[in-house]
Amino acid sequence: MPILEVRELEAGYGPIQALHRVSITVEEGELVAIIGANGAGKTTLLMAISGIVPARGGAVLFRGQKITGRQPHEVVRLGIGHSPEGRRIFPRLTVRENLELGGFAQVDRGQVGRDIDEACGLFPILGDRMGQLGGTLSGGEQQMLALGRALVGRPRLLLLDEPSLGLAPLVVAKIFEVIAGLSARGIAVVLVEQNARAALRLAARGYVLETGRITLTGSGSSLAADPRIRDAYLGE
Amino acid sequence: MPRPATAVDVATGLPARAGVLAWLRERWEIVALAVLALAPLVVPALGGALGGQMTTLFIYCILALGLNVMVGYTGLVHLGIAAFFGIGAYLMAILTVPMYPFQIGWLAAAVVSVLLTAGIGLALGAPTLRLRGDYLAIVTLGFGEVVKVTLRNLEQITGGMKGLNPVPPPGAGVKVAGIDLGLAFAIDPRWFYYLSLLALAGVVVAMRRLEHSRLGRAWVAVREDELAASAMGISATRVKLSAFAMSSAVAGLAGCLYAGSLSTTADPNAYDFNRSIMVLCAVILGGLGSIPGTLLGVAILVGFDTVLAPWADSLIQQMNINPLGSSLLSFSGWRLAIFGLALVLVMRYRPEGLVPSRRLAAELREAHP
Repeated sequence: MPILEVRELEAGYGPIQALHRVSITVEEGELVAIIGANGAGKTTLLMAISGIVPARGGAVLFRGQKITGRQPHEVVRLGIGHSPEGRRIFPRLTVRENLELGGFAQVDRGQVGRDIDEACGLFPILGDRMGQLGGTLSGGEQQMLALGRALVGRPRLLLLDEPSLGLAPLVVAKIFEVIAGLSARGIAVVLVEQNARAALRLAARGYVLETGRITLTGSGSSLAADPRIRDAYLGE
Repeated sequence: MPRPATAVDVATGLPARAGVLAWLRERWEIVALAVLALAPLVVPALGGALGGQMTTLFIYCILALGLNVMVGYTGLVHLGIAAFFGIGAYLMAILTVPMYPFQIGWLAAAVVSVLLTAGIGLALGAPTLRLRGDYLAIVTLGFGEVVKVTLRNLEQITGGMKGLNPVPPPGAGVKVAGIDLGLAFAIDPRWFYYLSLLALAGVVVAMRRLEHSRLGRAWVAVREDELAASAMGISATRVKLSAFAMSSAVAGLAGCLYAGSLSTTADPNAYDFNRSIMVLCAVILGGLGSIPGTLLGVAILVGFDTVLAPWADSLIQQMNINPLGSSLLSFSGWRLAIFGLALVLVMRYRPEGLVPSRRLAAELREAHP
């Protein structure tokens, strides 16, 4: 059974339909990339999965259980982490408080402490910045914090929205390295990226989203080799 | 983001403070409590009218700390806190005055009133917390006016403009070492001084603990970024409702003490819009989300109203500047103008408040370099 199954999902804002019968599946521990141009509906897809944007049709199944129509905080508690676009860390809370909020749904405080230590193992800089306010971090550090915060929630499935946006190449490499390692820890990932080349290199499979519709799908390497993709998204 | 090249406190990202100020900031509540607890032993005036004024000051401090939960921690605009103050006071009166059959005793009445006020807060919050910003402000403002007018017009229940009285003092009929406690409360204002100081200390301790609790973090997370908070598994609706209930409960407690210390609910105008705004101004002036700031804000505003203004008026009268009694030449006539000007100046030069919470200070310094 796939960990996530999105069936003919429809979603939108007011009169604008952003997703048209979108279907994707993600297996346990699999890294799946969603690529597409600005406004294709990538962010809406993630928000519809986590319940922030209500679905207008179709269904989202998490480990075989229908989760469409649930509140976002309930979806998180089922084990779906969502690291939204633009990082959305809490600027006036310290790094430690940000990380602790990642484990808000976790009742066992000792476990949260261990998970925070683990996040700091992945991103040592967070350990050094523990007492600093989130808003005083650099963009790259904020992205590391957002990723670390999402991991403290112990997700089975992680929705990552543009983790490389606006970051220096060195930082991007570090972030992608950690994302690539998540599969080994049994965490499935849906990665939404503008940086299609890097995303397809990491991903086992990929989907191409164009104006709210899935137009292509395949393994990461086959998509990266597809002339239509090379032309439209890889700039070759 | 540019930062000044001065010494910066790693924990807060703010410039480090040294010496006495830092120590005071850490230990202010113990110093203040000690001074206030010992004051009645050395200041005889506290056995008179001043004692009553200080009691009122403590009660407003409790009220402002209650409002601070909603406005400061959770970032929800509330323009009708006085209504919950009034509801607490009237519930207290209904449960204790001889006109009603309940008369369940002071402490029990206080507990029941606080719980009921919290419940009324929930009942108002549940349908309205989906509203944001201005709309929530309008609802709370309207609720405040509705409560005031209702209290005035439901004469059969609330006594109309006369209010409900007499609210008996706590411990009426209880004798400790041959002294009737109720009588002691009735004749010596220092008893209520200590009771309200005790309640205030309790509320300060509770707020301190709440700030660092799971719920307190959730309040701040929702204020900072509702979407990110829900991505953490926080139910924004539930968290806001809890803030509404907590604010209402603490305001209700302040109302109980108010009715108790005056031994009457006073007339419904005591719970009008002006009172809500006065308390809101105190919180903003002192520093949103800051416990010491809120207390200082109340001390300044209430002190201005009840101590400075009457003193300046009598001074003007003594100097015989104003023989015709023109309001243009009295201090009280200019009271609100001075008050407004002071607020404008604070907002211009110190928008984070006089004793800011570290979080808000950080935010506002970015916006106003």
